[in-house]
Amino acid sequence: MLLLLPQALLDGIMIGGVYITIAIGFSLAFGVMHIIDLAVGEWIMLGAFLGFYLNQWTNLEPFLFLPVVFFVFGIIGYYLQPVLFRVLSGKKGNPLLMGLVFTFGLALIFKGTGLTIFGFYSHSIPSILSTSSFSIEMGNLYLTIPSIRLVGLAYAFIITIMLQYLLKKSNFGLAVRALAQNREASGLMGINPKRTSSYVYAIYVGISAMTGVLIGNIFSLSAQMGAKYTVFSFFVVVLAGMGYLSGVPWAAFLLGLIQSFFLIYFNPGYTLIAVFVILYVVLLISPKGLFGKGW
Amino acid sequence: MRRRNILWFTIIFVALLLLPIIFSDPFSLRIATEALMWIGLAISWDVIGGYTGRVNFGHGAFFGIGAYVTGILMMKGGWAFPITVPIAGLTAGLIALIVGFPTLRLTGAYFAIAMWSLALAFQQLVLLMTITGGPDGMRLPAFLNPEFFFYLMLGIVSISFVSLWYLMECASFGLKVRSIREDESGAMALGMNPTKIKIQAFVLSAIPAGLIGGIYAYWISYIDPASVFGDIITDQAIVMTIFGGMGTLIGPTIGAVILFAFKTLFWAYLSDYEVLYLIILGAVIALTVFFLPNGIWGTLSAYLDSRKIKKFGEVISQSTGDDNEYV
Repeated sequence: MLLLLPQALLDGIMIGGVYITIAIGFSLAFGVMHIIDLAVGEWIMLGAFLGFYLNQWTNLEPFLFLPVVFFVFGIIGYYLQPVLFRVLSGKKGNPLLMGLVFTFGLALIFKGTGLTIFGFYSHSIPSILSTSSFSIEMGNLYLTIPSIRLVGLAYAFIITIMLQYLLKKSNFGLAVRALAQNREASGLMGINPKRTSSYVYAIYVGISAMTGVLIGNIFSLSAQMGAKYTVFSFFVVVLAGMGYLSGVPWAAFLLGLIQSFFLIYFNPGYTLIAVFVILYVVLLISPKGLFGKGW
Repeated sequence: MRRRNILWFTIIFVALLLLPIIFSDPFSLRIATEALMWIGLAISWDVIGGYTGRVNFGHGAFFGIGAYVTGILMMKGGWAFPITVPIAGLTAGLIALIVGFPTLRLTGAYFAIAMWSLALAFQQLVLLMTITGGPDGMRLPAFLNPEFFFYLMLGIVSISFVSLWYLMECASFGLKVRSIREDESGAMALGMNPTKIKIQAFVLSAIPAGLIGGIYAYWISYIDPASVFGDIITDQAIVMTIFGGMGTLIGPTIGAVILFAFKTLFWAYLSDYEVLYLIILGAVIALTVFFLPNGIWGTLSAYLDSRKIKKFGEVISQSTGDDNEYV
């Protein structure tokens, strides 16, 4: 039992890397626009399928498509944001509620479209790295590291660091942070709130879709996978505190560890139940996330 | 106004009571029963979603809990059906109380997410447990009497409708709930306890769903995790409510009837394109939010009110001999 512990920890951290990237864009979009996008899992699904078809068509290494997927979905997100903005800034009703319901409708449309076009089957994106793995042996300790998961972890770190750099060091990041603090005042300071929001939404959709390709590589892809990743993404964001970006990696690693421990020590079917129980307890004790810095 | 409402309720109720005499074939009765079931699910969702303004993406969980409680008590416990249905409703209410306590204290978004993951967790739990039969589901003894189920569903749905109407439109509870939807801190400043009222509304919305789930289990006589805990139950209840008009009881009823009629026709003629149904549901909800945020009934009643005001204005301008320009 104890011999498996290092492997469980390692697996959890490597899976957690993927969860950072499905949640970080979402958390950013929430921080700036206060939008809860129920379609986050569907963006992942659509991105994964774009990667899958590009791979089928060109037979190239799927990691080469990541920028392509990012740009395609970034453009879609850029042009979708004004529609969402109109829903969110409506005079009537509760805007937050309307935004939730609207993105829920989008999620249904995407899921239905995905099922119509891609069918119910599960696929996976082949890559050179999929089959290779290396192992470490120390005494009677034996660790297996699949290369693809290590690449996934590296990808998560690169995305996180790039996003942090963009937000903390660039003028654009300054505008985004100002917008997150106060929409009206940032408009007075010469920031174009609409365009900046559109860029943020584009980044969020692009990152989510790009992560879909990676998930298709590491696990599998099917048109029904969206809901699962939406829940995981929400779990990470709520645990980190809504809109608190620095908390995302820790919450994502926690989710990864929960998943790998359930896979190794218990029945993996109970993962979602454990996720819910933890969410429940965290909300009960610290409503603003693990670090108390949520929105 | 209130007397006229009572008159309308009575007319519709009597018409529904007489329905099995006119359409006595089992197929029509089955459709009528299912339409009533969706009305019940839509109005119960509306109590928390429309009146209280907390979107619940896990309403189907209460339906499924009701169905499985009835199934387990009847098959493993050997209890009689009339006892199991109230227990199904109470169990759903109890779970709503336990879950709502932490999640309803927070902003609506947390509640929406927590409830969705709760519904998924319950589906997983039912799949894994042995008492529920896992993925194979449960088979209940068949009781082939369509009239019985029609009248039972009619009874439960009309009791829910009338009691929710009383609570939400006549009693002060409806005002409290709406004040929390509009401004929670303002309501707190007026001396209300928002958490308590929200939990009450949540339990109130869960009980009818549990009762309907209990009846559904015995009526269809076969339940499995995909059919009673599936996302589609919550999705349809939400789309029906929003399409009809949130924050009213007549709106969800109209929405449920229209969308259920559409669904029946869709399955009758286009069942080869079943996933198209999801796209249509999504498009209906997105377009309704975009163009008719108040739903059909909300827009219609606002239009009727504006006409009434206009008429009133004309009467005033005629009596005073004034121009109509200020009205």
